[in-house]
Amino acid sequence: MTTPAEDKSLVMAVPSAVSKDRLVTRLRRSLQRNPSLFFMPAMLIAALAITVAIHPQFSDFDLQSLAMGALPLAFAAAAQSVVVISGGIDLSIGSVIAVANVLAASTMEKASFAQSLLLAVAVLIVGAAIGTLNGLIVVLSGIPDVVATLTTGFIWGGVALLILEKPGGGAPQDFLNLGVGTLFTPWLPNALVLLAAAVGVIWIPLRRSKLGLQLYAVGSDRVAAFRSGVNIDRTRFAAYIFSGLFSAVGGLSLTMTTGIGAPLAGVYYTLSGLAAVVVGGVSLAGGRGGIFGPVMAAFVLTLIPTDLIFLNIDPNFGQVIQGTLIVTIVMLGGFADMVRNRK
Amino acid sequence: MKMKVSILVCAALSALMATFGLAAEKKYVVGVSNTLVGNGWREEMVCSIKAEALASGMVSKVILANRNGGPSEQIADLRNLISAGVNVIIVNPSDRKALDPVIKQATDRGIVVVAVDQAVDAPSAYVVANDQTAYGREGAEALFKMLGGKGNVVEMRGIDGVPADADRHEGFTEALKKYPDIKVVASVFTGWSPDKAAQAMKDLIGSGKQIDGVWTSGIDKAVVDAYKTANLKYVPVVGADNNGFMGEQIALKDAGLVGINVTNPPAVGGAGLSVALDVLQGKKMPRVIHLTPAVYDSSTPEGMAWLKSLYDPSVDPNNPVYSSVKPYTHYSIEQEKACKGPGE
Amino acid sequence: MLVSVGKAYSAFSGCANPGLRGRTTPLSQFDLMSDSSLLLEARNVAKRFDLVIALKAASLQVRPGEVHGLMGSNGAGKSTLVKIITGVFPADSGQIFVKGVARSFRSPAEARGAGIVSVYQDPALVPDLTVTQNMRLAGVSVDAMRKWLAELGVLKLDFSLLVRDLPYPTLRLIDLARALASDPAVLLLDEITASLPADLSERIYIMVKRWREKGSAVIFISHRMAEVSALCDRATVLRDGVMVGVTERAHGSEERIVALMLGAETARAVATAASNRPSRRTPRDGQIALEIRGLRRAPLLNDVSFKLYPGEVLGVAALEGQGQEELFDCIAGNRRYEEGSIFAHGKQLRFRHPADAIAAGIVLVPANRLVALLQQRSIRENVALPAFGGIRNWGPIRMSAEQSRVKSAIARLEIDTRAGSELRQLSGGNQQKVVIARWLASGFNTLLCFDPTRGIDIGTKRQIHALVRELAAKGSAVLLFTSELSEIALACDRAIVLFGGRVVAEMPVAEADEATLLRSAHGLAPLAHAAS
Repeated sequence: MTTPAEDKSLVMAVPSAVSKDRLVTRLRRSLQRNPSLFFMPAMLIAALAITVAIHPQFSDFDLQSLAMGALPLAFAAAAQSVVVISGGIDLSIGSVIAVANVLAASTMEKASFAQSLLLAVAVLIVGAAIGTLNGLIVVLSGIPDVVATLTTGFIWGGVALLILEKPGGGAPQDFLNLGVGTLFTPWLPNALVLLAAAVGVIWIPLRRSKLGLQLYAVGSDRVAAFRSGVNIDRTRFAAYIFSGLFSAVGGLSLTMTTGIGAPLAGVYYTLSGLAAVVVGGVSLAGGRGGIFGPVMAAFVLTLIPTDLIFLNIDPNFGQVIQGTLIVTIVMLGGFADMVRNRK
Repeated sequence: MKMKVSILVCAALSALMATFGLAAEKKYVVGVSNTLVGNGWREEMVCSIKAEALASGMVSKVILANRNGGPSEQIADLRNLISAGVNVIIVNPSDRKALDPVIKQATDRGIVVVAVDQAVDAPSAYVVANDQTAYGREGAEALFKMLGGKGNVVEMRGIDGVPADADRHEGFTEALKKYPDIKVVASVFTGWSPDKAAQAMKDLIGSGKQIDGVWTSGIDKAVVDAYKTANLKYVPVVGADNNGFMGEQIALKDAGLVGINVTNPPAVGGAGLSVALDVLQGKKMPRVIHLTPAVYDSSTPEGMAWLKSLYDPSVDPNNPVYSSVKPYTHYSIEQEKACKGPGE
Repeated sequence: MLVSVGKAYSAFSGCANPGLRGRTTPLSQFDLMSDSSLLLEARNVAKRFDLVIALKAASLQVRPGEVHGLMGSNGAGKSTLVKIITGVFPADSGQIFVKGVARSFRSPAEARGAGIVSVYQDPALVPDLTVTQNMRLAGVSVDAMRKWLAELGVLKLDFSLLVRDLPYPTLRLIDLARALASDPAVLLLDEITASLPADLSERIYIMVKRWREKGSAVIFISHRMAEVSALCDRATVLRDGVMVGVTERAHGSEERIVALMLGAETARAVATAASNRPSRRTPRDGQIALEIRGLRRAPLLNDVSFKLYPGEVLGVAALEGQGQEELFDCIAGNRRYEEGSIFAHGKQLRFRHPADAIAAGIVLVPANRLVALLQQRSIRENVALPAFGGIRNWGPIRMSAEQSRVKSAIARLEIDTRAGSELRQLSGGNQQKVVIARWLASGFNTLLCFDPTRGIDIGTKRQIHALVRELAAKGSAVLLFTSELSEIALACDRAIVLFGGRVVAEMPVAEADEATLLRSAHGLAPLAHAAS
């Protein structure tokens, strides 16, 4: 038997004394494991650099445009990421965003700022409740998640139309400013602050909790997770609750940036959110990736039509460019896996 | 007439300036925002803007922000157009209210914003739109008159809850009040879909009801086709300036088809740009301009001449015919069909 | 030799479980009680999966301070019993007692709470998490893990590595260390040594013995008879989901265990079949249809060599996971091998794709019919598929030629087409025949049959055996793996036995009775040769 102290020195591959080398090793390793950690910031910086190069007048106004434009998509991507990491998929996100959007706009129209904040909390609760229902249906019914959430998506889409038949409603200006204003300097749009806050408050504690670990475990290998003592159904169920919550934040942000509720405005976010998830390095097979990649991807995808306007290129190319980007990234991901598995 | 002259003078002036190389400062950049892609009417609207830009000689380039989306996407596109330094924004708005803040930001920077086709609330924006109430009223009145003020008619509406449909129905109802002996035997929502309209018309014909005339909110060819398939005697049909419907009126004239065409020209886009350029030239323009639709009856020689002058078999039958809106637009139909802006 | 098997069985039959049908009467107070001196007891556990009965009446008694072997041939129900005990799925009937108290666990986590921990056949670690994260997931302290890994001889392991990137033997040791870290009263090891190198197996033996010494119990499942006899104090034998006997001393009881695993009737029936079978002349003359030299693919396939002659059916006998799947896949071009070579008719072959093997006339009939067939298409299309898979056939299909070939193939196999022309409407046996028919239609030299009769009724099984014999008679070479050892005698001319990824025995069919095969498959020296 060895003493614990001796154990430690024997077990560690690298002695802890050389902490600088360890940091480098750890950094290199985490990049190897999750290339999007490096790839996505690089891509975002490149996309921004391209934008500034073709549009040298890039100002705080453009930064605000970008932040406002990307905000709902970023939340849709975050909502989808949580479910995809757990090995599922949620095709009802756009409809949940629409429900939150029209619910907020129809109730906040004549509210004070304080009331509107309370209503926002209520909308978040409704979003989580919708996620709970989605999760219950997916987990209990045994219907494949694609079919189940596609179907519930139609239901929530109908609910949005029932709440608000046609675009309308509104919210107090102070509330709208949470999404469209700036903080301290025009270079710091509130939209970015809101995004950072929401992701920080919801995702980071989740990622560090046991539930976060279980989400990744269930997405990676259900059998191994089950044998490790993870309750598979409860974990998948939890993923849908978080998806509903993030979707509700997305709906609120849509109310902030447009000032109204539009029952059909959410529909774009199901597929473009999924595109952001794929571009952001989350494996559709589950278990790999994070939320920051897809959020950054939302910004990159928002910059594509912007750049096309600045370049005055036929915007129909936007679809082509976005599609090519996704295919390229998925192929690169597959290639990286192939190289890994060859070893 | 007065306005037309002044536009001519203005165009001549700008042409003169171009000749003397002074036009460099006077060339404007035009931004276009549209959030419905793959729709024939919207495509022609964009073409009319490009054609007007080319014909005016005052535009250096047209920047197109064109994608499917909602208010959020349109706000982003408008902001990008502002940032791209345009002088004019022609916007077909996806919402009446949501664009107000961004329109204000644009006009605060001296950009002339014209909402075409549909109105916006923003007081600083100009609005150029087809008068949809008049569309409903004029077509219905022409039909009721043709029927001798007596008979059974069918009303084929568009999509419930869409402003254009509500306005047209209002006009239809106004006309109905003047003709008390006209009876509406059916009122159907077609969703502006030819399939749905064809099915509804087939069902109505099959029901055996006496039908003396059909008013449509633009899904006109489907109604004619239903009669053609059923091999029944044609009844007068009110439709829009759609290419297929117009072609059928020419081809089936001897078979007894009589059509009434109410124009709803996509050239409203070009007219919007023309208004914007006028404003930039310092002219005082009304904030809201409603283009009154013209009515053409295929049973009259003038009507038939109009049909023959605009019908183009090479254009998709479901698209409207290429046309201009006098006195606003200055381009030729060929320029509109070419769909090329300045520098393209 | 046959006599000794019979003797062994009769000497042992007293231990066979009487209650084959389970209890249907209401449970009395007595049923709910168990001997509290036992650490773990399973009583008459039954389980069926749809139509397959995995367990009929499995019982097991584990005392403190013993290493208990759980034995049985393929499909006897060992793994199912382990999974029921540890709460992976519930039993249909029967009871589990822990220290005399009836328990029924709903998840492995719950079983762990009661001190019952299993290391399953395949690693139970999540591949996309690091070792540390896996420990957190299971609620195991990292320090305890380090300690136990060190005890198992793993001193240098970086816990921040992804499980995905670790070698397989290390994963087995981590699995074991994780189980040990929760200090289980009963440790279940299901085939833990199956694909480990000898030195690592040795460390596991040491740990198992330590566990016995501290008064806990280990349930040890292994196909390696030598291991079981060296390590286990007692052994329980399952056959067809029924507990058929317990040996009070595992060491020296190898023959009894084999006899119990076989069953008296099977042993006799097979003996008769083997002795009645005319000794077929192995065609050693002429060409070699297929020659395998030193085939290797880590971790399961270590150095396999054999020859297959035209007109011969060569049987492959092996317990689960001895490299047979890898062997067949390598020969069929489905997987790549690391070392060795494959010759067909004297020509060395290199496969980049299954199509290369098919082009060389080597075709595979897999056990899982679902992977080979298009369930919603017609028989005709399924049979015609590979024949038209070549690039040359991208043009229009010549319907008449196709029809006649397909018809003759279907006719030859007596495929029952009354059930309709869509494939999913056919029975399992008929589906398997469609797989063979498609190769008949496209033509082949060597047929690889991987457990073709798995889950097929006895009538169709016979037809498939007859078909295999007929194909061989017409000059084809057939390599046949079967998980039912009795089939070797029925269909083959010669047999090889795989154990630990190596060919450990080769024999003509006359000697390949079930007992001999089973002994070899467990890594025991063939008794028949010693006797003669």
